[in-house]
Formats: sequence, structure tokens, C-alpha cells
Amino acid sequence: SAAAGPERPQVVSHVQQALNYTLFDCKWVPRSARLLCLGSAARGTGVVQLYELHGARLELLREIEKPKPIKCGTFGATSLQQRYLATGDFDGNLNIWNLEAPEIPVYSVKGHKEIINSIDGVGGLGIGEGAPEIVTGSRDGTVKVWDPRQNDTPVANMEPVQGESKRDCWTVAFGNAYNQEERVVCAGYDNGDIKLFDLKTMSLRWETNIKNGVCSVEFDRKDINMNKLVATSLEGKFHVFDMRTQHPTKGFASVSEKAQKSTIWQVRHLPQNRDIFMTSGGSGSLHLWKYEYPAQRSKKDSEGSEMGVAGSVSLLQNVTLSTQPISSLDWSPDKKGLCVCGAFDQTVRVLIVTKLNKI
Amino acid sequence: MPVWLREHSWRQTLTAVYLSLPLRGARATPANIFCSEQYLKVSIPPFLFEAILYAPIDDTSSTAKIGNGNIFFTLYKKEPAMWDSLTLADAGKEKLQYLRENAVVKAQEKAKEETEAKKITKQEHKKYALEATMKLEEAERKRIKDLKEKERQKVAKELEFWKNQQKDADKYKSVQKKEELHQEIKPLKERTNEKMNKSRIPNEGTSKIRLKSTRGCHGSCSIFSQNLKEEQLPAPRAAATIKVNFTPRVFPTALRESRVAEEEEWLHKQAEARRRINSDLSGLEDLKEEEKNPDWLKDKGNKMFAMGNYLGAVNVYNLAVRLNNKLPLLYLNRAACHLKLRNLHKAIEDSSKALELLTPPVPDNENARVKAHVRRGTAFCQLELYTEGLQDYEAALKIDPKNKNIEKDAEKIRHLIQETMQSS
Repeated sequence: SAAAGPERPQVVSHVQQALNYTLFDCKWVPRSARLLCLGSAARGTGVVQLYELHGARLELLREIEKPKPIKCGTFGATSLQQRYLATGDFDGNLNIWNLEAPEIPVYSVKGHKEIINSIDGVGGLGIGEGAPEIVTGSRDGTVKVWDPRQNDTPVANMEPVQGESKRDCWTVAFGNAYNQEERVVCAGYDNGDIKLFDLKTMSLRWETNIKNGVCSVEFDRKDINMNKLVATSLEGKFHVFDMRTQHPTKGFASVSEKAQKSTIWQVRHLPQNRDIFMTSGGSGSLHLWKYEYPAQRSKKDSEGSEMGVAGSVSLLQNVTLSTQPISSLDWSPDKKGLCVCGAFDQTVRVLIVTKLNKI
Repeated sequence: MPVWLREHSWRQTLTAVYLSLPLRGARATPANIFCSEQYLKVSIPPFLFEAILYAPIDDTSSTAKIGNGNIFFTLYKKEPAMWDSLTLADAGKEKLQYLRENAVVKAQEKAKEETEAKKITKQEHKKYALEATMKLEEAERKRIKDLKEKERQKVAKELEFWKNQQKDADKYKSVQKKEELHQEIKPLKERTNEKMNKSRIPNEGTSKIRLKSTRGCHGSCSIFSQNLKEEQLPAPRAAATIKVNFTPRVFPTALRESRVAEEEEWLHKQAEARRRINSDLSGLEDLKEEEKNPDWLKDKGNKMFAMGNYLGAVNVYNLAVRLNNKLPLLYLNRAACHLKLRNLHKAIEDSSKALELLTPPVPDNENARVKAHVRRGTAFCQLELYTEGLQDYEAALKIDPKNKNIEKDAEKIRHLIQETMQSS
């Protein structure tokens, strides 16, 4: 609901579209006013719908049906000219589609034994440097990194030790891709584990446990020296880690906030301002936050090692749009404040957040 | 008997009567004065003044002023006329009575009417106030709604504008690229022919160019830019695996912060329940606290077994059993020790006791039961009781059919049995 102060950002609901299938992910097509909805139809098949924003309504441009329900998608690893969509489905298949000719995928691999819960891409869209890569996290407990130029085998595989009982991986994110060699993958699991894998050294760089299943992780920017990481979890909590200073035993400094009683399903940083991010909740609400850096980002501890200092988070606005969880959220990389969100009430909503320039 | 106040004085004009009544020291309040159209009474116990007025007055506008030990009445006549006297002279007792009652009744009615009127006005006031607040709130809501709507429209317009900008930019870019294309086509053609043989993606790119109608020239020129970028991209990473360990946890469910307190409590209770079931045994007083904990002792025993100190391990297990004879694992491990020490009968005893305690047979204690069967089977075989041994091995195989070692050993025993049967 609108705050009384006229200077606070407002979340304006621009368009609503009711769908006849369960919506799992929604993404803007880069460099356009078009968006994609990915989901699962009632008869158990996958649905990809392409919409275009026309004034106050969404016009359906294309509908594509696939044999398996689709859980997640990303444009992160494709070039701006090609704009191929990478999807993960309920069967563990990773596919890359050319939406102009979607009958046969450009790349396909049965990457996992169970549903791919989360997918991220890096190295595409003219952002950052290095090879385009896609990471998928699955219920089978593994996290795999794929290069679209290499068929069938992943270029990195993070799997449980032999004999270890597996935990579902719920979310993955790329980060630290500031040059051709450096890259990290952050993975969040259902038992609260967060693990940071360094792909340059192929090793585990950091791990921690936030005591509740991790629903979503995201770096504030993929293509810079890793700056901040936000991890959201069940029971209404999220943590912001300052990733600039890693202490040998204490890891990264963090600040946490309990925003609401229900699960925080997604966090997405504003592409145009890396200190503003939106979280979406199981109660159908969206919260817009701003991170403020502390006076000193690092300090020395009693033994002289550097440790980070976490800042603070303040709530800019919140709004309740639905009674069902808002499970997916995406900011438009081209228009500041334009975002799309999908909820389990089978509705996709296009929102505009105003006054972001004044922050 | 009331004391009558009779020393009143009065004067009159055409329209009004002025009556002055001294009070003889008594204190008067408005409650003591009772006045109706033709009857006036002042009652301040024990004093009493009563008057049947000559002619009716307008009792609503008439006033009484109390002060200086005196009440000064200003009575406005209903009909302007000069009165012969203040009171009716020939007032009989019945008339007096009647007038009195009448006056009282009339006064009561008036009072009622007044309260009714008051109520009605009050209600009307409330209604008015409510309507006014509602109007105010409505206005406020409308204002906010209008603000929001204006914002939305502004934003929608900006969006349309941006969209059109995008379209124009795309068109402009495609026109530019077309020109560049025409210029660069010849030298690049040779280069691309080379590259097509090397990498896969440009081939796919060409076949899809025809289909990309909406993107204008992007398709045809992408092949060239892609080739150039291909050169700059590093090769795919060398494949590697990173092994992952998860945070250890006693419970099979995932960790949830809200349940941590419950879980701790449960674990604590379990630990308490296992300690000192038989703690009233003598000779235990000089043991340290941790030495009375069967779990701790089991761990100690396991360590000793691992180091090869089988006698020591047996002693530790003995103590643990004294403290809590219901833990199957203690017997199981002690059986292993006895096997190593070649105390075969004791090994059989302990394995049997362990199996007894491992009822009911559930998937949870599968591992333990397999071990128990294997150990007992081994002990039997070493005593040359091969049939009994085979029975145990087969039981173990039944629980864990995939275990190759058990299979091999079972085969061996079968052979041995056949041999002994043949030779006897």
C-alpha cells in the first residue's frame, strides 16, 4: 500500500494477466519490452509463453509446449544477438532454445537425475568477460556448470561425497566474473548450507549454514569483484553478506533481517543500482530494500586478520499483491523500475517501481 | 409540619409579575423551586412556600434569581392584564390539590418532552459528525487514488516512449549494420570460410539466419560478429569435480531454525534416558561422570578396538553393559572383540543378545543386524558348526542381498559342508 510520504518509491501495478497454468519463472527478454513465462500446464507438460507489453495489457506473441514442465530459465549465457533461452525442467534436462525455432533445442543434456530447481547464466548479454556458462542446481544434491560449446559433460560438477546423504540444492548463482579466469558459483541447499565454489581453483572457497533452507541467493552484480551476496530463506529471514573481505575462520560478515513470517522466495537486485533489491514473500508481498554500507567496510580483529563489517538494510517500500506466494521476480535490464513477477495464483504481474532515481 | 414562608412581597406590570421571597436563612438551589403554568412552589425543608397564581404564566421564560437570602421571581404573564392579587383567593382545598397534581404531571410531561428533544438533537448531531468524517475520509482516499492513477499514467507513458525508442534504435542499428555489411563483406567472406570449418556454432548460426525475420539484419551480421567474439572467448573449462560435504545432522529432516529448541530438548532427553538405567549398582561411586555414560564408554571401547586393544575394549563394554543393558550396539561390538580374542562362545552369546535387542527388524537397524548375523556366523564356523554358520550368513544375505563379501563367504561355507558330508 502507498506510503504517505510522496518521496518514497511506489510500486505501481501496471498490468495483470491471468494464466491457465502454474507459473514457475518469468524473465524479461533482454533489449525488448517482451517477457517470457515458464511453467507447467495441468496436463503435466511444460509451457513457454512469450508476451509483449502493449500499453496497459500483455499481448501473447507465442506459446510453446514442451514434454516436461519447466522450472526455471535464464538468458544469462547467451549473446545479445542470439538471445537463446536456457531452461531447466522437472526431469533434470537442461535445454537451450532458439525462440524463433523452438522445435529442436540448440543444446540439450539430461544433466540431473531430478528436477533442476535453479539455473543461472554468465558471460552473455555483453556483460562481463569469459566463456558463457550455465549453472544448474538440482534436487539430486549436485550443482553442475555447463559450457554450451561442450556437449554432454559439465565443465564442473559439485556433488556430495560418496556415502553422504544428499541435500536438495534449491538455488544457484554466478558471481565474481570480473575477468576471463575468475568465476564463482554460490549454491544454497534445503538444510541451510550455503557453499561458495571457486571455478578457477576448482575448490570450495567458503561455506556456512544459515539454519533454514536457502530459497534464493544472488550476488549484487555477477561481473564485478564480488561485493555483496543476499541469501533468502524460510521463516522470513534473509542475510546480506559483505563479500569483499574473507576472514580465515569467520568467513564473510553479514547482516540479517526478518521481514515477514513466511518464506522469502526470491531476491533480485536492481540492475541499475546494486544496493537496491526486492524480496518476494510467501504471503504474496514484495519488499524493496536498500543496503547502506558501514563507515569502514573492514577492520582488523584481535589477531590482526582482516574481517569484514556488515552494513545495514532499510525497508523502502512494501506492497501485498496476492494471497499466494510470489515465486519469481525479474527486473528489466533496460528500463529502470520495470519488473515482472509471477505468483502461484497463476497470475503474472508487470509492476513499475517509481522514484528510484531519488534514492 | 412545614414552616410556611409568608412574608413575600410582589409588584406587577402589565406583562410581568415580580415576586420577592425572603428565605429566613435557608439555602436555596434550583432544585427546590417548582413552577408550572399556574402553580409555584418553593420547598426547602422545613420551609415551604406555595402559591396558586391568579392567572397563567409562561413558565418556560420566567426566571428565578437566588441570592442574598432571597429568591427573586420574574414571572411573565401569558395574557397581559393586571392581576388583582398574586394568588387566587377562593382556592378551595380540592382545587389546590387538583392544581398541584396537574402541575406535577404537566411538569413531568414537559421534562419528558425535553429529554426526547435532547435525544433527537444529539442523534442528529452524531449523524452529522459521522457523515462529515466519512466525507473527509472519502476525499482523502480519492486524493490518494488520483495520485496513484496519475503516477501510473505517467509511468505508462514513459514506458511507451521507451518502447518506441527501443524500436527506433533497433531500426537505426540495423540500417547502420547493413551499410557496414556491404563494405566489409568481401574481405570477411574469406575469413569466415576458414572459421566455419573450425567451430560448430557458426554453422548453426547460418542455418538459423533465414528464420530471424523480425530481427532484421541482426541475423546476417551476427555471424561475423560471433566469429570475431569466438576468437576472444576462452576454451571451455577443463572438467573437474568438487566433492561436497553437508553440515552433519542427527535428524534426517533439514534444519529449521524454529525447530532447533524442540530438537535439542529431544536429544537431551534421549541422552538422559540412556544414562544410568542401572545406576544403583555398587562400586560405581568412584567412577568419573563421563565414565558413567554408556555412550561415552561405547566410543572408548570402539577406539580401543580400533587400536587393537581387545581386552581393554571388552572391559569397557562390560562396564557399559552394567550401566545400561538395553543397548544392542554394546553387545554387538563386544561380540566383535570376542571374535578377535577367539572367545567364540562368548561371541555367539553377545551376537544373539544383540539380535534379541534389535527387534523389531526395521530398515534402521539393518546394518547392525547384518553385522550381528555375520559375527555369529563366523563364530559358528570357527567352532566348525558350519550349518548353523551358514544359517546366519543366509540371514545376513537376506537383509543385505548386495553384499558380495557375505555371498562369497556363504559359498565357501556351502563348499565346506559338502566336503564334510562327502568325507563322512
